[in-house]
Amino acid sequence: MKRFLPIAFVLVLVTLPLWMRDPYYLHMLVTTGIFTIAAMSLNLLLGYNGQLSLGHVAFFGIGAYTSALVSLGFDVDIFDYTIVHDPWPPVLGFFIAILVTGVCGYLIGKLSFKVRGAYFVIVTISFAEVVRLVALNWMDLTQGPLALTNIPPIVLGAKSIGYVSILGKVPSYYLVLGVAALAFLLISRIVHSRYGRAMIALKENESLALACGIDVTKYLVFGAVVSAAMAGAAGSLYAHYIRIVDPEIFMFMNTVTMVIMVITGGKGTLYGPIVGGLIFGILPVGLRVVAGPEVQWIIYGALMIAILLVLPEGIVPAIQRRFGLSAGNESKERPPADKSLVRGEQAL
Amino acid sequence: MEELSQHIANAIILGSSYAILGIGLTLIFGIMRVVNFTHGELYALGGYAAYMVSTVLGLNFFLGLPVSILVGALVGAAIEFILLRRIRTSDMDTGMLVMIGAGIIILNSIQLIWGGVAKSVNTPFSDVPVVVGPVSVSSLRLFVLVAALVLIAATYFLINRTKLGKAMRATFQDPDVASLMGVNIGVIYTATFAIGSALAAAAGALLGPVFLVTPSMGNMAALKAFAIVILGGLGSIPGATIGGFILAFSEEMGAGYISSGYRDAMGFLIIIMVLLIKPTGLFARSERVG
Amino acid sequence: MKKASLLRILGSTVIVFTAWSTMAAAQSIKIGVIEPLTGAFAASGNYVTNGAKIAAEEINAEGGVLGQKLELIIEDNKSNPTEAAAVAEKLLVSDKVPVLMGAWGSSLTLAVMPKLAEYKVPMLVETSAATKITSLGNPYVFRTAPTSVMEADFFKDKIDAFKLKKVDFLVVNNDWGRGTVDDFKKMFKTKGVTVGLVETIDPAAQDISAQLAKMKSSDADTLFVTAAVEQLTLVFKQAAALGFKKPIITTGGSQNPDQLIAQAGATADGTMHLTTFTPWVPEATAFPALTTKYVEAWAKRGYAFPGVTESFRGYDAIRVIAAAIKGAGKAEPEAIRAALWKVNLDGLVGKITFAKLGPKGAESGQSTPEFRVLKIENGKISVVKN
Repeated sequence: MKRFLPIAFVLVLVTLPLWMRDPYYLHMLVTTGIFTIAAMSLNLLLGYNGQLSLGHVAFFGIGAYTSALVSLGFDVDIFDYTIVHDPWPPVLGFFIAILVTGVCGYLIGKLSFKVRGAYFVIVTISFAEVVRLVALNWMDLTQGPLALTNIPPIVLGAKSIGYVSILGKVPSYYLVLGVAALAFLLISRIVHSRYGRAMIALKENESLALACGIDVTKYLVFGAVVSAAMAGAAGSLYAHYIRIVDPEIFMFMNTVTMVIMVITGGKGTLYGPIVGGLIFGILPVGLRVVAGPEVQWIIYGALMIAILLVLPEGIVPAIQRRFGLSAGNESKERPPADKSLVRGEQAL
Repeated sequence: MEELSQHIANAIILGSSYAILGIGLTLIFGIMRVVNFTHGELYALGGYAAYMVSTVLGLNFFLGLPVSILVGALVGAAIEFILLRRIRTSDMDTGMLVMIGAGIIILNSIQLIWGGVAKSVNTPFSDVPVVVGPVSVSSLRLFVLVAALVLIAATYFLINRTKLGKAMRATFQDPDVASLMGVNIGVIYTATFAIGSALAAAAGALLGPVFLVTPSMGNMAALKAFAIVILGGLGSIPGATIGGFILAFSEEMGAGYISSGYRDAMGFLIIIMVLLIKPTGLFARSERVG
Repeated sequence: MKKASLLRILGSTVIVFTAWSTMAAAQSIKIGVIEPLTGAFAASGNYVTNGAKIAAEEINAEGGVLGQKLELIIEDNKSNPTEAAAVAEKLLVSDKVPVLMGAWGSSLTLAVMPKLAEYKVPMLVETSAATKITSLGNPYVFRTAPTSVMEADFFKDKIDAFKLKKVDFLVVNNDWGRGTVDDFKKMFKTKGVTVGLVETIDPAAQDISAQLAKMKSSDADTLFVTAAVEQLTLVFKQAAALGFKKPIITTGGSQNPDQLIAQAGATADGTMHLTTFTPWVPEATAFPALTTKYVEAWAKRGYAFPGVTESFRGYDAIRVIAAAIKGAGKAEPEAIRAALWKVNLDGLVGKITFAKLGPKGAESGQSTPEFRVLKIENGKISVVKN
């Protein structure tokens, strides 16, 4: 049963476009998928590293803008120099976005060592707001409120095989699915590796981890870099799918959306962000018929509070407890106890 | 030169309201250690309360301020009682997220009730400005300055000269010892949150008529409040007061001489710089950051 | 009652109900409406939408179009370009509307335009003024609102009357404001008027005193302002608070003078406005009888009068769309598009007919309304004649 569920889920996802023809639902799934990738990246930082970063949307937006600008080309005047960039293939934009956001993640990671807890939260929010204001005002580069429009879609392929333009709902769906699967696998590998254990130890008890010789900074920074790069990838996908990017992408509300996805799904679990992402990606479509946007957000806010009060660990851990499953709960697992040590203590 | 004195005058007026906003948050943040994400929404509620009193109900404009203070206190107490009590024992992340959820609910309720169109608050002040030399100030803004200073003084009096204030200060220093000495921590927390929220609402009722009242007016206000608190140091009223003026000054000078678009960025840059250089703020009592 | 007859009654009720609802559904022609109902442009967006609703109600009361009722599907673009594109997607893909109206702001309309070409559905642009909307070469765009170039052209003959020598610009930072500056600058150059400072305002900004302080100490003789009505209120109030004395002329047609008087009070006195519709003086409008009828219809629904000065756009737009659908004979996008070229309607702003504009082979439709200059004095609005 345990093995069957994920496989069935994957099968459903892969064959979806064959039996779901309504382009609007496909559209919803594509955007949900993109936000789920971002949520997974936030989960790495929040659930495994224990850092509540409320500026995560900054990475998403920087990735979107970077990718868009690389593929659109730009010319800016900085002091007296004019930098002109000709349009490059969007695929390059995707990878450059990952690179740029990774670097930003590095900076944030280093910063988080100096500043903790509530202050870290405020700094991350401020960072996102500063980036938004820069995007809004540096019109030379970003077009500000006029938005970057007509962003080209991603084109995959090589000269020998031929090119496929990822334009339209179905190709975009598969691209997003592919990237999401890669992201999931990546996080899964990290969490189960040495890095993952160090990050979890760090989250559980930092002083103890330090005492054990774990280089706290290195793992904080590592988590931040991967998390940021993944969010940047999601942002790039967003830019080339929606094909219009404006400074509102940096709105605090988008961070809140990602946070709600992670928290309700279950932070620190592998499937949490996916469950959260699906709920909050699909819920709006259903609710749209009965409730206006304000009422929808009131429901989300209430839902988040309810989950935090009643099921603080999220939906996935609750389900797992119910059904006696334990896969995906790595951050809660205790490392196997060293029996000899225990006996020694008891002897005392 | 005349432009400069105009900017200074604007900064002083704006700063006084920012100070109230900041004092409210520093009390909550300092005493309860809660990152209050509803502070901005309370600011907006204060603005809408003033709008209701003055424009919709047509009552005396000056009634708007006490009404919004009352509304702020009640809503704040309700939030504390219903939500914060339950998560007092949870970790800080949960507290923050619950506050975000509450903020979302309030913000969207405001938009649901009053709609998204900006509202103008009727004031009895004439539009002819008071001119002193090169500086020109509207009578409304003068009122805002005076009212804000009065509120700052009142809060200072409350915290430093009353029994309640003493209990709040004791709780700030050490909640456990305070409770051992007979202070009812629960009541103090509720009172703190109510007072902090009332101050936010007051700031909204003062600045709302100066500009316009919109559902999202609280977003920027909340972030600026954080900047002020961090600049001034957690739990320090003088710090928040001076922090409010410093923020207003950097905004005015930045907008006037560097770029008007980056006006709102000043607050954030302050946050980032302060946290990197002197994380405890300018006037902090001794305490560990974070 | 016997079980069988009960079942029979239930069954026939279900059948009748289903038939009725499918008939009712089949009986309505959908028009997608994209307007800013929240956000920085909410006031204007709501007015335009109400005007559109009035037009739809009137047409439906007279029997609808092609025997079917018009159904407006209204979506909020939140004054944001990305949101505008998103709701356009929803209207085109999910609701499958054959024609759109919107999206108020120039940046909002520009964000929607690629979708029009992608899904091959025409859109009636009712307010946006940026020239490039109809010059970029999108054959699915039909605009009844004037371009900034037309506005500048109209103003060319008024320069001497206003005795302009040097002007400053204070515009909202988007395609509309920037486009206005570009077009007016070009026009001013041909008439020897110099342009001094050009300052921009963020669409959501509330504190404009920094820019105004600069304007106050500049050496220009007049200030031109292009912004939505909420920001105009703030500009007037803050300018007065600073002791700003120069004459102010606003452009763009979304000034809503009544709301300005109501909210900015005496600070709006002496300001002048370029606009296309003057409902206070029906005789000065293109079709006075039509104007009077519209003002009455607006008042009858309990809407406040200030909204008339913007809602007329929604009203005209829906009537144009209805005329096109009638001319097309069917509610299909391509047929409606072809029929729009043939529309010749008496609108509140004048005769509406579309001329080709833009690169050959991909022209957009552009109509040319008439302009007026208004002046606010002592809380009263008058049309300036000269």
